[in-house]
Amino acid sequence: MSTEAIAVEKPKRNYNVLFGLTLLALLVLLWIVLSVATPSFASSNNIANLLRQGSMIAIMAVGQTFVIITGGIDLSVGAVVGFATVVAAMMINAGFPIWLAILVTLLVGVAIGMFHGFGIVKMGLPPFIITLATLTSLRGIGLLMTNGNSININSDTFTAFSRSSFIGIPNLFWMVILVGIPAYIFLHHSRWGRYLFSVGSNAEASRLSGVNVQRTIYMAYTLSGLCAAFVGVLLAARIGIGNPTQAEGWELQAIASSVIGGTSLFGAVGSVHGPLLGAFILATINNGANLLNVNSFWQRIITGALIIIIVYFDGLRRRGK
Amino acid sequence: MTSTAQELHPAPVLEPGRTILELRGLEKRYPGTHALKPVNLAFKSGEIHAIVGENGAGKSTLIKLLTGVMPRTSGEVVWEGQPAALATPHEAMALGINAVHQEVVLCRHLTVAANMFLGEENSRFGILQQRSMVRQAQKIIDDLGFDLPAHVTLGDLTIGQQQLIAAARATVRGTKFLIFDEPTAYLTRKEADQLFTLIRRLKGEGVTIIYISHRMEEVFELADRVSVLRDGMLVGTRNIAETNDAELVKMMINRSIEQVYHKEHFTPGAAIIEARNLSGKGFENVSMTVRAGEIVGLYGLIGAGRSEFVTTLYGRHRKSAGQILWAGKEVQVKSEHDAIKLGMALAPESRRDQGLCLNLPVGLNLNLPIYKRISNNLLISSAQEKTQADRQIADLRIKTPTRGALASSLSGGNQQKIVIGKWLAHGAKLFIFDEPTVGVDVGTKAEIYRLFGALLSKGAGIILISSYLPEVYELADTLHVFRRGKLVATHGFRGASHEDILTQALAEKQEKQGGQI
Repeated sequence: MSTEAIAVEKPKRNYNVLFGLTLLALLVLLWIVLSVATPSFASSNNIANLLRQGSMIAIMAVGQTFVIITGGIDLSVGAVVGFATVVAAMMINAGFPIWLAILVTLLVGVAIGMFHGFGIVKMGLPPFIITLATLTSLRGIGLLMTNGNSININSDTFTAFSRSSFIGIPNLFWMVILVGIPAYIFLHHSRWGRYLFSVGSNAEASRLSGVNVQRTIYMAYTLSGLCAAFVGVLLAARIGIGNPTQAEGWELQAIASSVIGGTSLFGAVGSVHGPLLGAFILATINNGANLLNVNSFWQRIITGALIIIIVYFDGLRRRGK
Repeated sequence: MTSTAQELHPAPVLEPGRTILELRGLEKRYPGTHALKPVNLAFKSGEIHAIVGENGAGKSTLIKLLTGVMPRTSGEVVWEGQPAALATPHEAMALGINAVHQEVVLCRHLTVAANMFLGEENSRFGILQQRSMVRQAQKIIDDLGFDLPAHVTLGDLTIGQQQLIAAARATVRGTKFLIFDEPTAYLTRKEADQLFTLIRRLKGEGVTIIYISHRMEEVFELADRVSVLRDGMLVGTRNIAETNDAELVKMMINRSIEQVYHKEHFTPGAAIIEARNLSGKGFENVSMTVRAGEIVGLYGLIGAGRSEFVTTLYGRHRKSAGQILWAGKEVQVKSEHDAIKLGMALAPESRRDQGLCLNLPVGLNLNLPIYKRISNNLLISSAQEKTQADRQIADLRIKTPTRGALASSLSGGNQQKIVIGKWLAHGAKLFIFDEPTVGVDVGTKAEIYRLFGALLSKGAGIILISSYLPEVYELADTLHVFRRGKLVATHGFRGASHEDILTQALAEKQEKQGGQI
């Protein structure tokens, strides 16, 4: 195939930065509009609340993005969050130290991610199928473990964490930074990050170039599972209960955040800052709609429309129109 | 419908037949590029008109304009005396203009028959008449002399066979003007012969054929006239009887043909890799040695076991018997990773499927094998990442605006340079090139061959697989001929005639090539 003209494309990095700035501008614009429209929006209470709301989806979206960059999808993350709240609650109530409960919960997330990697790499299952299967069975396992009841966590130290702030910013938001910075370094400045992109672009070419494709896929799903389990810990701390039916539909919010943040579902395109901004844009819309007394059914419609609009314009830009 | 070709285009015109399609000042500009400068050219019914030129010369642009894929910037296209807009592919097809592309654009999961009738299915009361379609498709295929079943899934056929089906498909829809874009790139000699028979037959029926190829001998075998494009300009049109290889190559690249196959001889050094009685899936009992400073050519039909042999060396497939020795010591190569660690590098046959991450930057593609080296345990050195990529781009003369441009935006030849170039920095000892110049123009070919010389001078060894005999013939120090999974003959540099080597590769005339591979 001879391409006649070498299309002059701007380096990718610049495009990413530009797109990130556009999202940031959109977020700031939303905040300004809402501050004007409703006095309660800009109150420190509400902002803290908004940050808490957005933080958990944001962390899940980062893990999800790793998976989507490899050309896969992780539908299980919402169920992992719910399951993780159960694990954390049961261990804390059984008297284990909090650090151990958290560690074990995170390891459970890692194990679930490894299982996804195993199903995809060794059993040859499509990512959609294997993660859909764990989505439904994890909820079932959680319900079996709890007999369908919620578990009240009897540790105040644990639950206090999610309500407190550090230098005026909610702890939950600090957790986004705690996850976001290593994730950024991992994705954009380590070779494993490069491999995520190359596998998502062309697994065969990557393998022939010496990239361990199987390990890369394991890694992506493991990180997604880990992020989801971490969010499970945060959620358990925030609401003080362990309940396997928690976080219903969060996987879709995580995917939506990722996509709004510029991740391509075809793989090989994505960043860390994009999904984070995407998650907070979604959280702002929900929060603002609540304050403005917009029917919560409308919130869902607005979210859907936003996904279509942003992805459409992003596609136009990428095709260079 | 009078021909005005004589007035517009003074080139020698001897063929009878009226003008079917005429280009008057046809032109295409992209932002920043003048892809096709005004072209005046008349095509006659029943002629085979070859178009040659380097990648980027404007051939693809011309095809896209003629098939209605892209709108022209200015100029006129006259079809059978009437101006034609050619604004959509549909309009081109309705006129009878069809194209067979280099890479098969059909549905791999459907049957051969379903593909033949795609878009024009027979149905009665909305129900597909599957059996009658298979029967009709089979009849067409048989008529054309292709020995292929119509009921099998297209994807089960070899690429070459799929290409034949694509050609057959194009002939059944009232085609008057058929464009072949590098049709033989993936064909074996036998399949190419079948295709040529088909093309000659169509010519006999009065169909105009545009034949685009990088292979000069095909142009001389088939064409009545040949037009040469260079840098978006029509350099000239010749009657085939009145021109020769040397003239055409000169017109295309302003360079002589001897400079293309640039062979440097080195004294072979120590053995790099040795296969001893190696057997595996698709080949058996193959022994050979590759030494430092030599090119070992593997020639044979597609499916003869060459690719299977090298992918086994490279750890993709398990060997079933025999030994692999690396630098004199037996090794077990269990994965591509092992092979790369030993010092092997493979530039695969299909760059789109196996060679490149198309939607990622050129720089990332070039650095992919060496990220381990240019990063510490945790972080990539971005300075090294940049300098490595820029050096490769400069050394290989890859035409790209920046290292950040996507690989997909480059021309085929430049993409191929990436596939090969990414191994240079890696510092491999053994390079395996599987059909490295398929779909690559003469100029890039020459650059790739010069690259071979550079690798050899650094003490590397090369295994060169090619279905294009002149390539292995002119370049290989040792030439092994494969047939049906066996190594049947070995020659030194130019150690046997083309005819002898062809006979060895084909053996019995009636040899039937395994359909499913």
